[in-house]
Amino acid sequence: MIEVKNISKVYGKKSNKFQALTDVSFSIPKGASVAIVGKSGSGKSTLMHVMSGLDRPDSGLIIIDKQNILELKNKAVDLFRAQEIGFIFQSFFVQANESVADNVSLPLEIAQVDRAKREQKINTALKSVDLFDKIKNKAKDLSGGQKQRLAIARAIVNEPGIVFADEPTGNLDSATGDKIEDLLFELNKKNKVTLIIVTHDSDLAKKCDMRIHIRDGRVTKIDKTGDGK
Amino acid sequence: MRTIDVINRAGRSLKQAKVRTLLTSLAIAVGSFTLTLALAAGEGSRQYADKIISSNIDPQALMIVKDKSLFGEGGSMSGGLREYSANSSEYNGLTFKALSASDVKRIEEDKDIKKVTPTFLVSARFVTFEQKENKKYTTDITAFDTSVRPEVIAGSLPANGKQINDDEVVVPESFLDTLEIKDKQKFVGSGVILHLERPSKELSKEQVQEIMITKGIPGLEEASKPISMDVKLRVRAVSKKSVTSLSASNALFISENTARDLSDFMTKGTSQYQSYISVMALVKPGVDPATVKHRLEKHGMIVKTAKDLQGLLFTIVNLIQGIVIGFGVLALIASVFGIINTQYISVLERTQQIGLMKALGMRGRDVARLFRYEAAWIGFLGGVIGALLAWGVGTLLNPWITETIGLGEGNYILVFQFIPAVVLIISLMIVGIIAGYYPARKAAKLDPIEALRTE
Repeated sequence: MIEVKNISKVYGKKSNKFQALTDVSFSIPKGASVAIVGKSGSGKSTLMHVMSGLDRPDSGLIIIDKQNILELKNKAVDLFRAQEIGFIFQSFFVQANESVADNVSLPLEIAQVDRAKREQKINTALKSVDLFDKIKNKAKDLSGGQKQRLAIARAIVNEPGIVFADEPTGNLDSATGDKIEDLLFELNKKNKVTLIIVTHDSDLAKKCDMRIHIRDGRVTKIDKTGDGK
Repeated sequence: MRTIDVINRAGRSLKQAKVRTLLTSLAIAVGSFTLTLALAAGEGSRQYADKIISSNIDPQALMIVKDKSLFGEGGSMSGGLREYSANSSEYNGLTFKALSASDVKRIEEDKDIKKVTPTFLVSARFVTFEQKENKKYTTDITAFDTSVRPEVIAGSLPANGKQINDDEVVVPESFLDTLEIKDKQKFVGSGVILHLERPSKELSKEQVQEIMITKGIPGLEEASKPISMDVKLRVRAVSKKSVTSLSASNALFISENTARDLSDFMTKGTSQYQSYISVMALVKPGVDPATVKHRLEKHGMIVKTAKDLQGLLFTIVNLIQGIVIGFGVLALIASVFGIINTQYISVLERTQQIGLMKALGMRGRDVARLFRYEAAWIGFLGGVIGALLAWGVGTLLNPWITETIGLGEGNYILVFQFIPAVVLIISLMIVGIIAGYYPARKAAKLDPIEALRTE
């Protein structure tokens, strides 16, 4: 369960002041798939940063599993991110010169998972995105779709409760993008991961359980697909 | 993040930029190379000096003098204004304060002294050899030192601690070349004549008048003629040319008694009679020479133990080594800026990677560590490359150096040691970490949101 209460965020000072988020409130049930929809500059990325603890809002509460993460010290927020959150980005951000396995290993190293347990976790994650046969390849030798699958493996390897995906199909052709979308929803259902997708793609948004529409830093509409959730 | 994981990642990042890593570490390698050679040369020189001293001076020996300048302290050896002392001695035209007979007696009476040997200054006008009868030679003459046993190539030497006989002489190998003697066995037992001449006393006006009256002109000629003496000796042995033995190579050795007699003859009737520039004393075994040294110094003598003399030689070695190390350190300082530059550019290039790592929950501290360890890896690599290169070059050059400056077989001026090399490499890693401090801090402070902003 993620509760966002009265979040406001201002960038810049005085004349350059820019209100990125204004009094944003909503709640997301555990295991749901959610789309944060809005045009570029609407504040949807800022919202994602604030919810994941990368950025701090000026006011409001973000309660994840009954813990207000804004009360935590930086060190604890970092630990929370390492253990509970996975990220998928539009431009993949895989380390081109590193092997597939080393890319997936990074979150485990950061979360200080025992070396003995890593290999098994990496194998499981790569199998679930169908990249296990590329485990020894360099990331730069992968195609765009494979890179995004690698990024997904990296996001889920440490079994986080929440995965943020920032325009996950933005850099892919539609056929490949569809496959990635299917993979994301499959993982969402199978692993009971809360999936939060930031996108301006309304087709992708329609596939989610819930859509939060943002415009000029305000929530304009929240709608849910009536499938009983 | 665990240290081992940080080290692994740091190593991998460097591997991915092989050329850059190598070039940066080569800058450090130059410093490492210089420092390794400097350390090796210092060690080699010290070992060599040690060898020279231990084969020339008994560790229980004390060198005792009255004149500071003999040890290069308190003024130069030549010239300058110095206080006059009635009890002074002249050597090679220089005047030194000398030890008087009573000084020698005082040393002899010390309870911990086993033996006292004054340094007799014997100078023969010329020397003739039986096998080269029509030629005259000049050479230094010294008393045979019983504590040092040179190797011989012909003849034999008495057991260690025993003097040669009073009518014997030991000739260094190098003299045979000058004498053009081929058969060294035949040379042993042949005669050597030392021709000594003492200048006549300066006669006062009254003395001249007296001699004129009593003995006439021939008497006066007789009185002003130099007094000469011929000493006939026999070659006992030919000592081998030794690079580590200083005295063995360039002087005739005569027995201590003969040396004393000749010295007395040369100085008779002068103020230098039975006064000595230096005295060698042997401290009884088991007694620390330093304690005896302190006791004697209270009587105005200047005393050096074998260790002190070693220190004098080491001072020079250390000075030269210090200069070379200085150059090495300069090279290192230059390479520090190389590392800073490389790592700084690396941080800029890897903004995205740093952003991702921070987004995934990596602590700023760990990001900084990653970059510091990369710098440490560069230091390590440079250190190892430089040290190995120095070791390789040094090992190849050693025989050539030994031959060129005539160190003698088995002596090497570059001595490489494992522990200093390890210490050097560790220090270079620390230098790397220090150089990596600023880029690492920059990486740690990077804002992940800025870094991950999609173009």
